Amino acid sequence: MVAYVARRLVFVVLVLVAVSMLVFGITALLPANVAYLILGSFATPEQVHALELKLGLTDPIWQQYLRWAGGFLSGNLGESTLMNRPIGPILAEAIGRSLMLTGVSFVLIAVIGVGLGIVAALRHGRPLDHGISVATYLGIAVPEFFWAIVVIVIFASWLGWLPASGYEPLSAGVWEWAKHLIAPTITLVFGHLAHVSRLTRSSMIEVMQSPYVTAARAKGLPERVVVLHHALRNALLPTITVLALDFGRLMGGIVVVETVFAYPGLGRLVVFSIQNRDLPTLQAAILVVAAIYAFANLLADLLYARFNPKIRFGRNVA
Amino acid sequence: MSRNPAPAMTTANPALQDVLQDAPAAPPRKPMSLQLKAGLAITGAIILLGLLAPWIAPHPWDTISMRTRFLPPNATYWLGTDEYGRDVLSRLLMGTRLSLAMGVSATVVSLAIGVPMGLAAGYFRGWIDEALMRGADVLMAVPPIMLGLLVLAVTPPALWKTALAVGFVYIPPIARLARSVTLSLANEEFIQAARARAESTSYILFREILPNAWPPLIVEASLRVTYAILLGSALSFLGLGAQPPSSDWGLMISEARSFLDRAPWIALAPGFAMCLLVIGINLLGDGARERLDPRLKARLGKA
Amino acid sequence: MLAIDDLTVRYRTAAGEIEALSSVSLTVAKGSTLALVGESGSGKSTVALAAMGLLPPEARLPAGRILFDGQDILTMNAEERRRLRGSRIGLVFQDPFSVLNPSLRIGDQVGEGLIHHRGFTQERAFARAIELLDEVGIINPEAVAKAYPHELSGGMRQRALIAGALASEPELLILDEPTTALDVTIEAQILDLLESLRVRRGLTMLFISHNLGVVRRIADEVAVLYAGQIVEQGATEDVLQRPVHPYAKGLLAAIPRLGQKKGRLASIPGRLPDLRNPPTGCRFARRCPFATPDSEAPQVLRDIGARKVRCTQAEALRDIAWPVLGEDAPSSPVVRAADAAPAVTEPVVAVEGLTKRFVLSNGPLRFEGWRPMRTPVIISPVDDISLEVAAGEVLGLVGESGSGKTTLGRTILRLTEANSGTIRIAGETVSDKPQRALESMRRTAQIVFQNPDSSLNPRKTIRELLGRPIQRFGLAAPGDIPARVNALLDLVRLPAHYADRYAHQMSGGEKQRVGIARALATEPRFIVCDEPVSALDVSVQAAIVNLLADLRDRLGVAYLFISHDISIVAHLADRIAVMHRGKMVEIGSAEEVMRAPRHPYTIKLLSAVPRVDGPIHGRGPTAVSSEILSA
Repeated sequence: MVAYVARRLVFVVLVLVAVSMLVFGITALLPANVAYLILGSFATPEQVHALELKLGLTDPIWQQYLRWAGGFLSGNLGESTLMNRPIGPILAEAIGRSLMLTGVSFVLIAVIGVGLGIVAALRHGRPLDHGISVATYLGIAVPEFFWAIVVIVIFASWLGWLPASGYEPLSAGVWEWAKHLIAPTITLVFGHLAHVSRLTRSSMIEVMQSPYVTAARAKGLPERVVVLHHALRNALLPTITVLALDFGRLMGGIVVVETVFAYPGLGRLVVFSIQNRDLPTLQAAILVVAAIYAFANLLADLLYARFNPKIRFGRNVA
Repeated sequence: MSRNPAPAMTTANPALQDVLQDAPAAPPRKPMSLQLKAGLAITGAIILLGLLAPWIAPHPWDTISMRTRFLPPNATYWLGTDEYGRDVLSRLLMGTRLSLAMGVSATVVSLAIGVPMGLAAGYFRGWIDEALMRGADVLMAVPPIMLGLLVLAVTPPALWKTALAVGFVYIPPIARLARSVTLSLANEEFIQAARARAESTSYILFREILPNAWPPLIVEASLRVTYAILLGSALSFLGLGAQPPSSDWGLMISEARSFLDRAPWIALAPGFAMCLLVIGINLLGDGARERLDPRLKARLGKA
Repeated sequence: MLAIDDLTVRYRTAAGEIEALSSVSLTVAKGSTLALVGESGSGKSTVALAAMGLLPPEARLPAGRILFDGQDILTMNAEERRRLRGSRIGLVFQDPFSVLNPSLRIGDQVGEGLIHHRGFTQERAFARAIELLDEVGIINPEAVAKAYPHELSGGMRQRALIAGALASEPELLILDEPTTALDVTIEAQILDLLESLRVRRGLTMLFISHNLGVVRRIADEVAVLYAGQIVEQGATEDVLQRPVHPYAKGLLAAIPRLGQKKGRLASIPGRLPDLRNPPTGCRFARRCPFATPDSEAPQVLRDIGARKVRCTQAEALRDIAWPVLGEDAPSSPVVRAADAAPAVTEPVVAVEGLTKRFVLSNGPLRFEGWRPMRTPVIISPVDDISLEVAAGEVLGLVGESGSGKTTLGRTILRLTEANSGTIRIAGETVSDKPQRALESMRRTAQIVFQNPDSSLNPRKTIRELLGRPIQRFGLAAPGDIPARVNALLDLVRLPAHYADRYAHQMSGGEKQRVGIARALATEPRFIVCDEPVSALDVSVQAAIVNLLADLRDRLGVAYLFISHDISIVAHLADRIAVMHRGKMVEIGSAEEVMRAPRHPYTIKLLSAVPRVDGPIHGRGPTAVSSEILSA
């Protein structure tokens, strides 16, 4: 198990190195002059050249990359070209807020999604199953930004229960804080529920038709035991992997949702830095997202190995 | 090594297997499921509307008229007008073409690159497989929308670039699917038979494997079209795709945001249209998947 | 103990309603064993599921009763039925590889019935599971109880399943093809185990199988099922030695007998009737050489002496044997191999010192001092094998699963690359050539595969499948290819209109014929037949074996005939080679190996084969119990 974890860790690090190259490479290679992008098209050549020197854009690309990556490792993420502040603290704040939002959403998605999937599978082909299918279909069929707007119209404009946008820190009071979280969370959960519930459903249906479930019934076990003891643990194995994938999708989902709800997290930071040509911030933010996602995947792999006896490495250890 | 001569399982139900195994030749074609029919009808209707849009749109889609601003739906303007007095229905119809073109072209891009990648990885195995799949892992480590944003960040936005970027970020899942299908097909005995008559690698890949890999790939691609439409519209919504005065649905919703209280129909119309299109394509894809050769489904499950 | 009365089961499928069982009636008396025999499609597994009340939701039961100890299982409510299952009735399934839950320990799965039926605690159930595992002959039961299914071999899993079925001491044990997925030597052990359990515990058994040899070892009484109907039922030896119903006659005649080398096996032409709309008359009539106009009338199961037969002509047919038909010679001229009867004495295949190794894993990482070390786990499925096949000869290759016989066949054809050794085919040394220089060898040497579902590309018509090799090697002008395809179809006795079919439009036997035709298309001198009949039913299997024998006689092509079934190999082969764990342990003329095997493994293999003739072993006198049964 230790060797397995070590190997997976090395792999995660390699992926992150590659992602950093990709992120840096795309921004550097695309046919656009970064300095022009920052200064706007009315800049004089002198201004552009001065900025290029300042940003080190005249150096060979690999030197630029090493400088950037080296800075990243030593905790110096560079300076935001827009706000003229170190990126580190800006990013840290945003990460905290985004993790709060995605964390709450993720737990809800996992619990509700798996629950709905199991219920649908056990009522396979009955009205309840179809009802759940239709509801979750709606979730994936409509883009998040549209749901976000619908949620605002209903809860903020019509009912007036929730603020339409913004964020309040916990210090402003628990209710104030929570109020601003509810609308974006509803949007995220609804948009991502379908994936988990549909996969859980199909996996559960498959397991319920498997020979070993028939065998468990042939032993005369109560249906409750057949479902909970025999079927569920096998049906949920693939769900673990999907949940990790969904965590990644959530990290993508916050881009739109945070923008619509003006929630000052990572997603809004990404959009904000693009709109304002703040490349250093953009690169750092995307790399952080990739890191969070990679570790979520790592965790899923380890959980999967833990619950699947076939790949439980070194059983004597575990 | 030899396998145990246990009869192959073709259905999950042992009793049914018992009966079906030597079922009479040429079973009649299964009737189309309701799901598939509904999917075909919805998708077909939307494609038709999109194709005919310039001729059936009741009003010009881009003519600004300050006198007709914010009209609610009425007999002349069935879906009302927007803040520039343009007919929402006409814009919606023209936008249909953009969304469809966006989804299809992005998917074509990811198929064109992803399928050969997956075929090569699955058939040659070894270092080619490792290199291609680790590359896919890296691309998958960044959420698609961020990858799309990153690509679009440094170049002036345009719809075709969005399509390209979306196609690019959806290469990995297509490549992975193509690989897993190829892996399982490569173990089939008919591939061994082809090797036993000294067929070339390209013959095996393109004449033996690919025709069998198409059905699951096409189904997956049809579902990918919806992902691409959604992602493309999200990018447009964020201002990195279609630019005004385009009638892209994402852009329409984005522009309508400010007038939600006064004129909700401007945002609702494209929202529901997108919902309908995505549901239609999903029904079509899922219906087609159910219809697939069950043996293929079983193989995919294992891979 | 168990009485099934007039049971009909239908399945709703997308293609229409299939009648899996039609008015089946059976009784299993206390302490006896009834075997239900049938080929695929006969509905035999449905009987097992129905008796357990486990039919899938697609099933409909328009008629019938299933009485267990006087109570009707079908009218019970779900809870009563559940209490019966696993407590008074035990079920052992066919495939030990998929009926054990992969994520639960063996001990938990064996003992869990006790928790729910007898109120045992988890610990007591686990302890009892260890005792049960011991009882079914598992060495080191404590360790096995803690193991997960994937850590056990097939035989061990089947034992564990039997242990689980026995846990709450059922009165009736239903076994659905319990040995089909196992090797013969393991199968023999499981049958011995069942027999000793039957004696020790006084079990009543319903044994479902397609293998008449197995049935003979275990059953007092046999019921033969065809297309959802019982066609003959009686005491085991009576039915097996003197079958009355034509189908039973055909089935028995199709089985190759060890030590009795006949020219041809009997086979049953045709296929199952369409069960969506079964014929009202005799369901076997269209395949029956004895059919008369009477056969069109509905048939009833009648008492004929001590047994029951569903045939109006049963009395007349009593002593008539199933005719061994020489299948008609093809109507068009034969496609002759380039030099069918070569005068040269050189063997067509000569293999020397062939070895193939696989690295299973790199082995666990360990440290010697500071140096990381791994000892790779290597297996050699082909270990220093030398053999020759003469022109027109059939060399039979026998071995159990994992013995390396398939790998050997593929290595000879360079479909798998050998690690060392030389291969000569038709005088050409092919082992040292690169793949692209194998053109002429690929034409000379071909292969027929095991699995008819996997060996034909599902997206191509038969015409394309057979035409491609001809085109590939330029064996005919493009305009002549259709004629060649027709000749090939004729050679394997398929009608010409099959050329337009796809694989899924044919039965298993027909697909296998196409596979043989494809191999013959290049006019080879040598064909590796890799388990070509293992996936087929006995009656179909016989026809394919006959076809292969005819083709050898007419075309002079040599075979390496690979099979796990020694009786088929013995029937067809001139010489037999026996493989065990990658090594060839014995090779000699077929007659010699069968009559006087030398290697202990060959002896073990031969004695394990369940036979339908010769002395019965592994079973005490059965006369008494069979008398009770016929009452």
